[in-house]
Amino acid sequence: MKLTDDHIAYIRKDLLYRGLVLESLQDEIVDHICSAVEEAMRDDGKRFIDAYHDVLRSFGSTSGLRMVQKQTLLHENLKPNRMLRNYLTIAWRNLHRHSFYTAINVIGLATGLAACLVMVLFIMDELRYDQYNDKADRIYRLEAEVKLGDTHFFINTRSAPEGLALQEELPEVESFVRLRTLGSYLVKPENGSENTQEKRVAWADSTFFKIFSVPVLEGNAATALKQPSSVAISRSLAQKYFPNTSALGKVLVLDNNYHAKVTAVYEDMPVASHFHFDILISMIGHWPVTREAAAVNWVAENFVTYILLKPGANAQDLERKFPAFMAKHLGPELAKAYGNDFTMEKFFSVGNVYRVYMRPLTDIHLYSDVRGELEPNGNITYVYLFAVIAGFILVIACINFMNLATARSGSRAKEVGVRKVMGSLRSHLMRQFLTESILITSAAVLIAVGIATGFLPVFNNLSAKSLELPWQSLWFYIVLLVAAGGVGVLAGIYPAFFLSAFRPVNVLKGRGNGMAKSGVIRSALVVFQFVISVFMIVSALTVNRQMQFIQNKKLGFDKEQVIIVHDAYALRPNNVEPFKNEGLKSGAIESATISGHVPVEGDFSWRSNSSFWSEGVDAAAPENIVSMQNWSVDYDYIKTFRLHVSQGRDFSADFLSDSSAVILNKTAVDRFGLGDNPIGKRILTFRNLSDLDLHNTTSFTVIGVIDDFHFSSMKRDIAPLGLFLNKSDGNVSFRFKSDRTAEAIQHISSAWKRLAVGQPFQYSFLDEDFGNMYRAEQRLGQIFSIFAGLAIIIACLGLFALTAFTAGQRTKEIGIRKVLGASVGSIVLLLSRDFGKLVVIAFVIAAPLAWYAANWWLKGYTYKTEIGVLVFIIAGSVTFIIAMATMSYQSIKAAGTNPVESLRAD
Amino acid sequence: MHSPELLKGTLQTIVLKVLGDHGRMYGYEITQRVKELSGGTIALTEGALYPALHKLEADGLLNTEVVTIGKRVRKYYTLTADGVVLSRDRVSEFLEFIRTMSQVLQVELNA
Repeated sequence: MKLTDDHIAYIRKDLLYRGLVLESLQDEIVDHICSAVEEAMRDDGKRFIDAYHDVLRSFGSTSGLRMVQKQTLLHENLKPNRMLRNYLTIAWRNLHRHSFYTAINVIGLATGLAACLVMVLFIMDELRYDQYNDKADRIYRLEAEVKLGDTHFFINTRSAPEGLALQEELPEVESFVRLRTLGSYLVKPENGSENTQEKRVAWADSTFFKIFSVPVLEGNAATALKQPSSVAISRSLAQKYFPNTSALGKVLVLDNNYHAKVTAVYEDMPVASHFHFDILISMIGHWPVTREAAAVNWVAENFVTYILLKPGANAQDLERKFPAFMAKHLGPELAKAYGNDFTMEKFFSVGNVYRVYMRPLTDIHLYSDVRGELEPNGNITYVYLFAVIAGFILVIACINFMNLATARSGSRAKEVGVRKVMGSLRSHLMRQFLTESILITSAAVLIAVGIATGFLPVFNNLSAKSLELPWQSLWFYIVLLVAAGGVGVLAGIYPAFFLSAFRPVNVLKGRGNGMAKSGVIRSALVVFQFVISVFMIVSALTVNRQMQFIQNKKLGFDKEQVIIVHDAYALRPNNVEPFKNEGLKSGAIESATISGHVPVEGDFSWRSNSSFWSEGVDAAAPENIVSMQNWSVDYDYIKTFRLHVSQGRDFSADFLSDSSAVILNKTAVDRFGLGDNPIGKRILTFRNLSDLDLHNTTSFTVIGVIDDFHFSSMKRDIAPLGLFLNKSDGNVSFRFKSDRTAEAIQHISSAWKRLAVGQPFQYSFLDEDFGNMYRAEQRLGQIFSIFAGLAIIIACLGLFALTAFTAGQRTKEIGIRKVLGASVGSIVLLLSRDFGKLVVIAFVIAAPLAWYAANWWLKGYTYKTEIGVLVFIIAGSVTFIIAMATMSYQSIKAAGTNPVESLRAD
Repeated sequence: MHSPELLKGTLQTIVLKVLGDHGRMYGYEITQRVKELSGGTIALTEGALYPALHKLEADGLLNTEVVTIGKRVRKYYTLTADGVVLSRDRVSEFLEFIRTMSQVLQVELNA
């Protein structure tokens, strides 16, 4: 006998009435009962209703049914994935319902995380420098601290014999390698005709590949640089000069002079290395540098020397042996130079310092800034700074999250109350809130990765790096997961505690909103956000102002409209002068000068330093020696760079004696102690630099004094400088007439092509070269500006949502005020006042901090701008105006609402 | 009728074994089958059966399949691969238990 649809419907309804509501069980029980009833009706011939009640009884009636349901529910709910699904469902509904807050949360957090991600990539990249070397922990670079009278400096070049002597005499030293750089070289293959300029060239000992882990692809690493006149070249250089063939055994011509055979091709040096050479020239043979490398001269210090310690050797013990070692070798040579009564003890006793020390290889990139660095290094301060900024931005974003969550607590108080009454434990609620926040952070992490991918090219451009997101690394994903979970918990734990602590009696009676308003912590968090924003804005302004100061400072020479043609020695021997004269034939060129020394720092710009003393002083006393830049210039130098002669005269072809004349800058005049009238006085120096003999000197007469000009970075004092009339063909500089730039370049380049057949035409503008000296600082300024912008955007996003929330809460109050005659203005003020106050407090806290930090940074400059009140006024008003604008949108919206709308609701 | 205390520990074993032998079954069918096999001495109570079925399903030992018959919805259960393995283990475990019990109680089986 089959039950009719009516019977089934009756059973279904009756069971529901008896409290069977669990969907997953309902159908099953209905089916079961139907089957049993059918059987009873068929076998025992009972009526439907009797059979039904019999079956029900076998279930234990209503209470039995409920017991089945409860038991089933218990089993199901004990499964963790079901609980999680429940949390997720409720979280999703909540987030969806408040999509405005959710969007602001996700966007703010994603922006912060993206910024953080980029910073972390940057920091990790900085920290991995030179780590590619297998023996990195045993490699050290030799450096020296030198203090002679007024001059105090650190330098990384050592004398030629020092490395070998260390290896032979001190048991800790296993091996050494020396590098010598001499600027750029003109390179072509043996049968090529066109030269190319190569900048990444060094002379190196054959131990290079033994000490540094640069893999040799072709040739034998052990013997590569042992043959005279041989070079090892990088893979990309080999491809450039010998495409599609093996470079091994081929010959390169350097500077049209040196023919060198390629004995090895090595893998390009890693990006994260403190040097990158494409050509390594053997230090064995009879070329000038190789002769210098073989010479035993402890006074000439030109070689960057690295030593490899034996495994287990103690670096400190080794360093302690250096003073005796240096005294043994350098002492006799200095004694010979300064006279026989010279001793190292006397030298040190008058306050001089000459200390050799070792710098671990892996410290070079971040900690070293000594004279003679092979490449510009990073700076550990900036690494710390970036880490702090990254942390701050993340914290700001997390604060937004907490603020919004607690602010919304009012609207969720009832939910918490009802849940608690229904038997929810506090731990359940906390888990619920944490699920919500982890959901948000997971979304934010995904978006952050997207933003970071888009932003990295921009950041790379700014920071001159080539950072990438490590898509292949498993760690990357683990970190992202941990970040999503970690930030989720971090940002969600406070709201979770806060919300789950509500007492149901209070919130259900309607007293819950009181908790939402007592936002002391919330106010503190807003203040903290804006402290950071103001701090970052002041920092960005300071850096940018200093850059502007440098750009606009009177330099003492005119950097505009000068073009510098590099590597003019390619015109040797006869064409340097003709090239200059040829250039002057154009109406666009005003004047021209031949000199390797130009008033900016750069790899084309020469520097040479020597010891001088004024006539009549005791030259044996180190404090009378002036370490002075001596530049070789021609008659037109002062005219072309527009230096200002304040006393005496410029060099002139009319005076034959000018070949033994010198023009000093003011600093040099002071340092020599030449007084107010230095013209006609004389200064002396050693005739032969390789033989420092006080009886073998040469003298120069001062014929003019020029005003000090900034020929090196403004981080340093202006050094003493002497101009000498001499040949120096590193560069030819042309001053051209304004607005005739194109014509000038055209003319000069065609002259070059006629006179320097097959040589590359390399030029730059003096003002650009000047700008390049401050590239790192400009980058810092730009990066700071970007992240300051980010910080304030995120902070304002939070403020925006907070105002929206308070405005929403006070809808009724606003309505009543309006009915009673309040103006829109007064209501906007009412709503903005509280947060406005917080911004002002933030400014007051941030200002001294920022002032201190800016001062600290500016200390690095000898010539610097004043921080000034203006910076603070700008930073303060920018923050305040942005914050006010953010808030006013919401306040005006709230104030403009018709009171009927807000009061009608209930 | 056996006492419910004795049945309690063997409920899962019975359900698994019956499903293993018979293939696809629904709840009522299981109770009927057990009653038939035991000659009416074992009556599975619905109160115990459904929670047990839902637990086994949640543990991944049973698959379910829903068939609509007119206004009624019937839910069929089958063993999963894990369920088949567990069914075999449970049965042999129980046989072992009976053997041990016979020694403990000093009685001959197959008497």
